[in-house]
Amino acid sequence: MDASPDTFRAAIERHQARVYSIAFRILGDGGAAEEVAQDVFLELHRSLRRLESEEHLAAWLRRVACHRATDALRRRAVRADSVAEEYQDGMALRPAVREFIPLMNRVEQLLLTLPPAQRSVMLLRYQEDLEPEDIAIELGMPLATVRSHLQRALKLLREKAQRTLREYSRG
Amino acid sequence: MDNRNDTPIDDFEQHLRDQLAPRSAPAGFADRVMARAKVRVAPQPRPRPFFLLPLWSWTAVAALLVVAVFGGIEHDRRQRIEGERARAQVLLALRITGTTLHDVQQKISTEENTPAHSESTGFEKR
Repeated sequence: MDASPDTFRAAIERHQARVYSIAFRILGDGGAAEEVAQDVFLELHRSLRRLESEEHLAAWLRRVACHRATDALRRRAVRADSVAEEYQDGMALRPAVREFIPLMNRVEQLLLTLPPAQRSVMLLRYQEDLEPEDIAIELGMPLATVRSHLQRALKLLREKAQRTLREYSRG
Repeated sequence: MDNRNDTPIDDFEQHLRDQLAPRSAPAGFADRVMARAKVRVAPQPRPRPFFLLPLWSWTAVAALLVVAVFGGIEHDRRQRIEGERARAQVLLALRITGTTLHDVQQKISTEENTPAHSESTGFEKR
């Protein structure tokens, strides 16, 4: 693809929502998500010439966004379980996450309680509407692993959603 | 799973799709990325090889070398002069001391040679 500033800007404008959403929903923190999303586009700037088509570009962005956001999460040394515990306790959330919780919808909040690998798979499945086969290729995971992540994540989310609903109806 | 559970799962998945529609990026996001990309692309001033330094730098280096070399030589010369002066002073002091000691010794020997026993006889001065 042509790496001129106009092409680059057009690519940012077309894909910024997708990349930012992936980063935001993996990290649960608007500031960190913007930082990661910016880094992804800067990496794209260096790689634009190597990308052959719009589909290739979209797939590249999804993959790099998932990996960079997961790396950022790891760097913050916040394990998924600890976030889950934090979320369930509802008290010990890190300030950055607590600040953004009111701005998140219920599904996004529940998504934060999943381990990072499951978060990425769920996002590619339900945000990006990809088939498990495509997710496996984009994340470089065996198809069986993708399916297992999807099943487990769905089960967990459904249980949590039902629990929340019960708590809500109980008042 | 029975059919009773299948329907809620489908609904649930549809609900996930609806709730996970992409969010808008913060306002000005594209501008901020473009600004960062521009900074990266702008050629960074590369350090020049040392032999391509401007003429004034070479002049300054040469002047510093001259000052250092001549300063060193002058310092050595002054130290040598100081050393010689100190040596001369020490020699002079030794010479004075030697002369004084010689005089004192002579005086002592002169006094020793003068017949002290003549005093005891009491006839010499008469």
